[in-house]
Amino acid sequence: MSDDQLALRGLQLSRSYGDGAVRTYALREVTMDLYRGQLVLLMGPSGSGKSTLLAIMSGLLQPDSGQVLVRDGGKLRDMWTMTAREREHYRLRHCGFIFQGYNLFPALSARQQLEIVLRWGGDGLGDVRRRADEMLTLLGLGNKGHLKPSQLSGGEKQRVAIGRALIKNPDFCFADEPTSALDWSSGERVIELLRAAAHERDATILIVSHDHRILPYVDVHFHLEDGRLTEAEIPFAAPMAAEAWRDKP
Amino acid sequence: MNYALQTLWHERSRFMPGILAVAFSAVLIALQCGLLLGLFSITSIPIDHTRADIWVGSPKVLSVDLGRPIPATHISRIGSDRRVKDTEAYFQSFASWTKPDGGSDLCVVIGSDLNDTCMGSISELTPAMRVLLTQPGSIIVDQDELDRLGVKGLADKAEINRQSVQIVGLVKGLRSLAGPYVFCSRETAKNLLRPVIPTDYLTYYLVKCHKEEDAPILVEEWKKEYPDMAVFTSKQFSLHSQLHWLTKTKAGVAIGYAAILGLLVGMVVTSQTLYAATTASAREYAILLALGIPRWRISGTVLIQSFWVGIIGLFVAYPAVNGFAALAALGGVNVLLPWWLLTGAAGVTMFMAMISGLLALRSVRQIEPMTLLR
Repeated sequence: MSDDQLALRGLQLSRSYGDGAVRTYALREVTMDLYRGQLVLLMGPSGSGKSTLLAIMSGLLQPDSGQVLVRDGGKLRDMWTMTAREREHYRLRHCGFIFQGYNLFPALSARQQLEIVLRWGGDGLGDVRRRADEMLTLLGLGNKGHLKPSQLSGGEKQRVAIGRALIKNPDFCFADEPTSALDWSSGERVIELLRAAAHERDATILIVSHDHRILPYVDVHFHLEDGRLTEAEIPFAAPMAAEAWRDKP
Repeated sequence: MNYALQTLWHERSRFMPGILAVAFSAVLIALQCGLLLGLFSITSIPIDHTRADIWVGSPKVLSVDLGRPIPATHISRIGSDRRVKDTEAYFQSFASWTKPDGGSDLCVVIGSDLNDTCMGSISELTPAMRVLLTQPGSIIVDQDELDRLGVKGLADKAEINRQSVQIVGLVKGLRSLAGPYVFCSRETAKNLLRPVIPTDYLTYYLVKCHKEEDAPILVEEWKKEYPDMAVFTSKQFSLHSQLHWLTKTKAGVAIGYAAILGLLVGMVVTSQTLYAATTASAREYAILLALGIPRWRISGTVLIQSFWVGIIGLFVAYPAVNGFAALAALGGVNVLLPWWLLTGAAGVTMFMAMISGLLALRSVRQIEPMTLLR
């Protein structure tokens, strides 16, 4: 991949928790490059530092040392040299998040869960409703926009959560165990949607997961263990799966 | 529908304690102040139940029942003004009531003209009663004061300032704070109050203007011109009398203290309700923060919720206040709820609800997107 395609670079990232004798290192000088249009999977055993790396790469957590370089006006800039307001604004313009659990507002309809991001994000003028409806249709929830979370299945709720993450058309989407609460048919649908976002919208999607069934769908697979990162081999089936998916209507 | 209001409706059982706390505060404030007003409105009955535009009395008079004698010659100062339609002498003073069994108590003797166009006769006196009062020594009292006066009812006799009087009629709803009101004719009052009001003196001059709107102007003119007499419009004198008793008895302080306690209870409960509701939605809000939505948006939602909790609480409180006031009236307790009192209570309660919202904002400050990754 060329540097032009580089979207996000984590450079020599270290992060520890605790103090003195009880200090534990979640990340040890990790370097990670993420490129546009890629669906990236980060795997590793529990406690290996996956979530910490996701949080640092997305600007939610400051590393003890190292840099998170993002494209800002054509140049690479360390996210942690930005002010908190600038970082918030950066996330608003560029980042989507999907976390474990759906975390949908119980009082709001599926459509409103998406609209609120646009309205409160300062993008609330004009065609908010149309954009929310288009996203719901893309997610296969075109006729369920009026339903509240309690009226949706687990897979549908996760799709709404994905819609919430993608409604801004972000450059990055960070997903923490997006399929962990779903049966595989629902999980597969979710991964297909994220893959479509990467390939069709030229977004960078970073998934943290234990779920090996995702492997055939991803473009890059990292493995994290004891705070150290290795780029793992993509299974042979991946390109085929990807091509097969692309052929879907 | 607004997201905040929609959430409030969807989770109404969660918000209910806050709504009820606001309602409780509003009811407490309105009822206590209403009770206070009702209580002290008694002190201005002689003003509020008569038809004068202006009251002229002794200088620095504290309350209508504390008027000292003024010279009858003051009539020359006020009666000649062309804006004055009519003037009338009015007698009022505390007197000693001697019960038939020999016991004694204080009473307030009120003597006025009794003709159909007079100003000083209270509106509860019927024409027939006024005719009966023309008999010397005839009096009318409130039927609920009979026990206090030690008499049983009509035709009973007693003594006021050692002169015999006879009850010729009974009225209702005119109980007094300091001593029972005794209504009689001007002549009877002059007679009964001779020990305290010298001849050629009286307690007040009542004034009727050709145009009611001239009254405040005349009052200001006479105040400047005649510093040796107190001049009030009826409304001013009524308020002046009530405020005197309110401050003298410290009842206002006691009621105010209770109202503040009610407000504090309401504020704590409402604040905790909003805090708990926000904490319950912390994960959803954390997602929005991660997405870059500014924190003030979430704070704004909590404040909007506190606003609606306040508004709904007031809607609950309004019928409750009126219901309790009606119940109190059945028990003979007068609760006055003028519009300004209800508006004031609503304003204070809304302020409390908004402060509760501000206090609950600490829950928003605690929300961190990182918690979603642990």
